[in-house]
Amino acid sequence: MSRKLAVLFMAMVVLAGAMGLKTIVAGRNNGTVMMANGAGFPPPIRK
Amino acid sequence: MPGPFDYSIWILCILLEASVVVCSLLRRSFRRYFTLNLYMLASLATGVGRYVVLARSGLNSDEYTYFYYYSDAILTICLYFALMGLYSFVLEELGAATYVRTFSMLLLAGTALFSYGVIHQSENRMLTLYVFELSQNLYFVGLVLTYLLWGAVLKLRETRARVIQFILSLGVYFSLYAANYALDNIYPNLNYIWVHLPQLISTLLPIAWCFAFLRFSEDARLAPARLAVIPR
Repeated sequence: MSRKLAVLFMAMVVLAGAMGLKTIVAGRNNGTVMMANGAGFPPPIRK
Repeated sequence: MPGPFDYSIWILCILLEASVVVCSLLRRSFRRYFTLNLYMLASLATGVGRYVVLARSGLNSDEYTYFYYYSDAILTICLYFALMGLYSFVLEELGAATYVRTFSMLLLAGTALFSYGVIHQSENRMLTLYVFELSQNLYFVGLVLTYLLWGAVLKLRETRARVIQFILSLGVYFSLYAANYALDNIYPNLNYIWVHLPQLISTLLPIAWCFAFLRFSEDARLAPARLAVIPR
């Protein structure tokens, strides 16, 4: 039981850390997006 | 509008992705590194698909925009599973396969719920916004997981050269994209650089994985002392 809870806790910690990092990195967001996968041109952003 | 240089990089990237799968097949490692190959195949199919949609509909069309963002979300999920496959390799000696699977599913579900929480008040184009948000959030989760995996590699003194090469290249790949994103936000006046740089970065991962398949055999080992000296 404790191991399952530890796994759940770790998942939540990683999620919180990742979202915190996203907030820091995008702190001064000017509408740009992060598209990281594969080849191709990102389509123009529509505001 | 994209120019000849952009198209050249695009074609190069598609060829490199195909090369990774071919090298993996030649080295008889396709099944062992199935999640990595799945990601490369998905990326290859997406690259070709994007080109077809772009040629038919144009860069500013709704079709291309939707195809681009939806395919990006699928690729991010594939990349997440590739990363979890690497976790399984590193932690296999600990017999933690069940926990890795549970962890990955919980984290994926948590990210999906969080993404829904962010956009649930939007009424228009909710599914599109959700796919976009999920893709972005999962990307940052992947970034954090890669660094944690590198910590596990150092702590457990993982010595398999090929696995280390995969993990390091993934770390560089994620980090470069995150740096590009951050710099784009800080220096938006240099937008022409930040728009084109990701295309060049996208070629790094297939190059590194191709190199790993060709240069290292499955039995190749690195001396732990060459990675880091960790006091115990």
